[in-house]
Amino acid sequence: MSLQAEVALRLGTLALDAALSLDDGEVACLLGPNGAGKTTLLRALAGLDRLDRGRVVLDGEVLDEPAAGRHVPTEHRRIGVMFQDYRLFPHLSALENVAFGLRARGVPRAEARRLAATWLERVGLGEELAARPRTLSGGQAQRVALARALVASPRLLLLDEPLAALDAGARPALRRELRRHLSAYDGSTLIVTHDPLEAMTLAERLVVLEDGVVTQAGSPEQVRAHPRSRYVAELVGLNLFRGVRDGDAVLLPGGERIVVAERDTGWREVFVVVHPRVVALYRERPEGSPRNVWAGAAEGLEVAGDRVRVQVSGPVPLMAEVTPAAVAALHLDEGGPIWASVKATEVDVYPA
Amino acid sequence: MTLEPSAGQTAGPAAPFAEGRRGARRHALRRAPLGFTPLAVVALAFLTLPVIGLVVRAPWREIPHDLVQPGVLTALRLSLVCSVSAVALSCLVGVPLAWVFARVPFRGRTVARALVMLPMVMPPVVGGVALLLAYGRSGLVGESLYRWFGITIPFTTTAAVLAETFVAMPFLVITVEAGLRSLGQRYEDAAATLGAGRWTTFRRVTLPLVAPTLGAGAALCWARALGEFGATITFAGNLPGSTQTMPLAVYVALQNDQGAAIALSLVMLAVSLAVLVALRGRWLGGH
Repeated sequence: MSLQAEVALRLGTLALDAALSLDDGEVACLLGPNGAGKTTLLRALAGLDRLDRGRVVLDGEVLDEPAAGRHVPTEHRRIGVMFQDYRLFPHLSALENVAFGLRARGVPRAEARRLAATWLERVGLGEELAARPRTLSGGQAQRVALARALVASPRLLLLDEPLAALDAGARPALRRELRRHLSAYDGSTLIVTHDPLEAMTLAERLVVLEDGVVTQAGSPEQVRAHPRSRYVAELVGLNLFRGVRDGDAVLLPGGERIVVAERDTGWREVFVVVHPRVVALYRERPEGSPRNVWAGAAEGLEVAGDRVRVQVSGPVPLMAEVTPAAVAALHLDEGGPIWASVKATEVDVYPA
Repeated sequence: MTLEPSAGQTAGPAAPFAEGRRGARRHALRRAPLGFTPLAVVALAFLTLPVIGLVVRAPWREIPHDLVQPGVLTALRLSLVCSVSAVALSCLVGVPLAWVFARVPFRGRTVARALVMLPMVMPPVVGGVALLLAYGRSGLVGESLYRWFGITIPFTTTAAVLAETFVAMPFLVITVEAGLRSLGQRYEDAAATLGAGRWTTFRRVTLPLVAPTLGAGAALCWARALGEFGATITFAGNLPGSTQTMPLAVYVALQNDQGAAIALSLVMLAVSLAVLVALRGRWLGGH
């Protein structure tokens, strides 16, 4: 293991208590809503905020252990940090910015500038060596910040929302570039983000942080298929319920039941996932094979490409995905009472 | 948007647009509360008349001759040495204090800051008395200094420097502290993640970025030190050549040699103007 961290600290109203580990060379994404504590966790790993309890170990070296009174100051950690607002030193040129980390660690000036120039060429800014940060575009500043973090060969790279400050139009190209640099980098990387697209495309491993605690961790595919919280379910566009196995169904807190096809294998508390596209809508109560039929009301419509997402309220609130033709046929835009049905075979169940 | 004045209505709001700045000024003056305009004129006259009087009544043809009198030159040289020393001393200990105030949330910080600001507001002569009671021969610290090292501070050039430092350093501290607060810790954090130790960070990141504010604080500090009278004369005395700085020399010269007094006053006025120009927009929020 390259990084093992258990971090507990209080900052204002946030109580952060999270554990995470990274393999050598792994790229992990820390995903969560705003205020979840992602940046706080990143700052704690960088040594900028003190832990109340816990332990941080990087490549076998204990960086932080309050119980043992050990705290390695930030400047002695072999880390590279890219801040959300880049924080390029305004009084230094791009070259001097990138060379800063090397010179601070004792590399002679000429050598540091040479290495910095090499890195700036690698990120495509060979022409901007003497430019001041205020004259750089958002994308250029981002690349300088990345070069500056990587030039001293850190063991751990921490990126705080690396693409958030960029225009939406600039993001795809820079995301690809970031991916390219990360695969060339041999240390471990932790990317903090609230953007699911960034998380899904950059990460080998996802750690979901909500309200200061880790609610889920796994590969992007695992997290996408088996969400364990409302936040993740909404992010990946799935309907998620939590309940208790009861015979051939799952009993929801409100008293409603979802009939499932899978036999009871001893799980008691379970999650139930229903993909919006398997939810069928009717104006009259349907008679047919689906075991799950619920009454509700069509509340809101949302166009998603060539499908339409319909918010169905009721005892079992659902998001359904139908065609525009269906919306027209059922006059769903007018709202009103509708029936939703889901086949038991289309429902996915896994332990909570 | 078109404004069409209907019959009987004056084109009120349209006036500023039509007549430009003149119209805008008249319009604004009309909105002043009753009596404000004449009172404002009185205030302006009161504040500017003395300076105008000094410049107009100065015997300009004799000034060059008055300036090179030995007494005047001595006071000039002494003031320069003392005020620059005061600024240097203020920077040496004041910048670290400003840093601590801005970055270290210690208990009692509010009280400490209030005490540091006191010399700015305190009557200078009271400052002088306080300095005597601290560093005089029977003072809090002065007693030990005299008993163990035979050092006497009051009525020496050192005392003049200390008096000027006492009244002027708070300006530097407050200015630099504000500058450090507004700069924030962002760049210092970034420097730490790049492997820079505390001194390297201060030298290569914090200081360059706070340098303009430091310059402004030092200019303010220098102007204040140069003009100090009450604390200097009380703590350092009025000894020509060793503690008779320019303000003290002016006061004494006013009795017998008005020419010298006016010459020195003009020099100090010029310095004040220079500092004002250097600080325009920064400390005084001027337009």
